[in-house]
Amino acid sequence: MLLAGCSFCYSQANNNFVLVPAGKYTIGKKGYLTNPLRTVQVDSFSIAPYETTNRQFEAFVKATHYQTDAERRHDALVFEPGLKEFEWISDTTAYWRYPNGKSRGGIEKEMDHPVTCISYHDIMAYCTWAGVRLPSLEEWEIACRAGTTTDYFFGDSGAFIGQYANVWHGRDHMMADTMDGHMYTAPVGSFKPNAWGLYDMYGNVFEFCTGKLLPDEGNTLAHARGGSWWCSKNACNFFNSYDIGRVNIRASFSNQGFRVVKMKKGKG
Amino acid sequence: MLLLLFTTLAYGSVHAQDDDEYKEASKESQAYHKYRLVSTKPPFGLQKVNALCAQIKEVDGDDGLDGTAILDPKKYMALSFREKFTYHMVHPESYSQNCDAMPPIQDEQKKIFGQLPDAFSEKNWSDRQEKFFTDHRDSVIALMQYCITKDKRVGLNFKHAIVDINAKEMIPFLISMYNEQKKDHDILTVLMLLMKNNAYQPFMVSASNKKLYADQEASYKSYLNFNVENEALIIKRALDFYRGGK
Repeated sequence: MLLAGCSFCYSQANNNFVLVPAGKYTIGKKGYLTNPLRTVQVDSFSIAPYETTNRQFEAFVKATHYQTDAERRHDALVFEPGLKEFEWISDTTAYWRYPNGKSRGGIEKEMDHPVTCISYHDIMAYCTWAGVRLPSLEEWEIACRAGTTTDYFFGDSGAFIGQYANVWHGRDHMMADTMDGHMYTAPVGSFKPNAWGLYDMYGNVFEFCTGKLLPDEGNTLAHARGGSWWCSKNACNFFNSYDIGRVNIRASFSNQGFRVVKMKKGKG
Repeated sequence: MLLLLFTTLAYGSVHAQDDDEYKEASKESQAYHKYRLVSTKPPFGLQKVNALCAQIKEVDGDDGLDGTAILDPKKYMALSFREKFTYHMVHPESYSQNCDAMPPIQDEQKKIFGQLPDAFSEKNWSDRQEKFFTDHRDSVIALMQYCITKDKRVGLNFKHAIVDINAKEMIPFLISMYNEQKKDHDILTVLMLLMKNNAYQPFMVSASNKKLYADQEASYKSYLNFNVENEALIIKRALDFYRGGK
C-alpha cells in the first residue's frame, strides 16, 4: 500500500504515462460473442497509470467554466445502501462535486479520487481541453492485460480481486460494504497495479473507451470497461479483462469515470 | 410427487452452470434470445406517442439547447391516460447501468433465468414513470392484460412492470398465457421473482431460490435447466402462493 502511494505521487508529478509499444496483441475471450478471442495490431500509445481525478477535472472546470450534463440536466443517478441490485436513484443535486448527491457529501477531501458523475459527453470536452483522448476498446484491454491472456491480469481466478481493485464485496447492495475500506471510490492507486504499472484497471470506476461493438450501434451509446466500486461478483462482475459495458452518452452515474491516452504530436 | 419434482429440480440446477467458457450460441439459441427481448407496444395512441417521442432531442442540437429524454410537460399532460400508458411503456426517460446487460449465452431456450433481460438497452424508466405504474396499478394491470390477450405475448417491458408493481394477482393470467405456447420461459422467471419479492416461504426455502438468488455463488446470470418437472413445480408453487397470498 505504501509503495502504491509513493508511486502515485511520482507519477502525478512526472506525468508518468505508460508507453505501450506498437505490435500485435491477443485480446478477447474464447467464444465470447461480444469480445471474441483475436489478435489485433495497434500503433504505440501512452496511457495514464491512474484514473483521472477530481483534482484534474477541477482544473478543467476552473479554466473553462464548463457545466457538466448532470448540472444542466439534473438527471444524475446515484447510489446508497439499501437499493435492489442494479437499482440507482435519481438525484437532482448530484454532479461531480457531489457525486452521490449533496446529502451524501462532497469531494473536498477526495481530490485524489477518480472523478465520477460525469457523462461520456463531458469527458469528450475534458479531453479536448487537456489535449488527450480516451483509449479505444482494444487499447484499454491491451493495457489492462499487460501481456496476459487470462480472464484477469493476475490469473484465471477472481479470488484475489480484492488485492487489485476497489469492488463491492457484499452479497448484495442492501447493506453498506466497506470491507476494503471504501464504500464508494478509493484514492487512485490504492490497490496493486498490473504488470505494466497501471492502477485500478479493475474496479473503482468504469472507464469509458471509444469504439463500437456493433457497426449499427446508435450514436447515443458509449462503452466502458473494468467494473467499478459498485460491482460485486453476484451483480455485474465486470471487473475483468474481457467484459464490455454500455451506457448512454448523457448518463451520469457515480461509478463512471475515465483514464486518458496521450495525443500523438501532429494528430488531432 | 412433490418430493420427486423437488429432487429433479435440485439435480438440474446443480449442473446448470458449468459452461463458463462458452462457444458461439446456436441459431436456435440466438433466435430465442431475440424473442426474449421483444417488448409490447400498446396500441393506445401509439402513432401519436411515437411522433411526439421522435421530437424529443436527447442530444444537444445546433440551437445550443440541452438535450433531454423527457417529453415536454405540456405535451405529456395533454395525453389521455391510455396514451400516457403507451408513452411510459415505449419511452424510458432515464438510464441503466453499464453492466446489467447479460452477454449472449449458449442454449438460452433451455434455461429458466432468475432475472429478466434488460428491456431498454442503455435506457430505463425514470422515478416518475415507475410512480405512474404504481399510482395507477389497477388500471395499468387492466391495460396490460388487454394488450397481452390481444398480442398473445407478454412483452419484456410488461414483465418488468409486473414485477415492479408486484402484480401478484396476475399470476393465473400469466400461467394461462404461458400454457398457450409453453415457450416464453421468462414468464416463469416473473412468477419466481414475484414469489421471491413477497418472501413466499415455500419458495424461500426451495432449491430454486438458493440456486438463483440466495446462494453465495448466485448471480444475475443464474438459471435453472428447463424441463417439464421444473416448469410444473414453478407453476404449482406460484398458484399456491396466489391462493394463499391474496
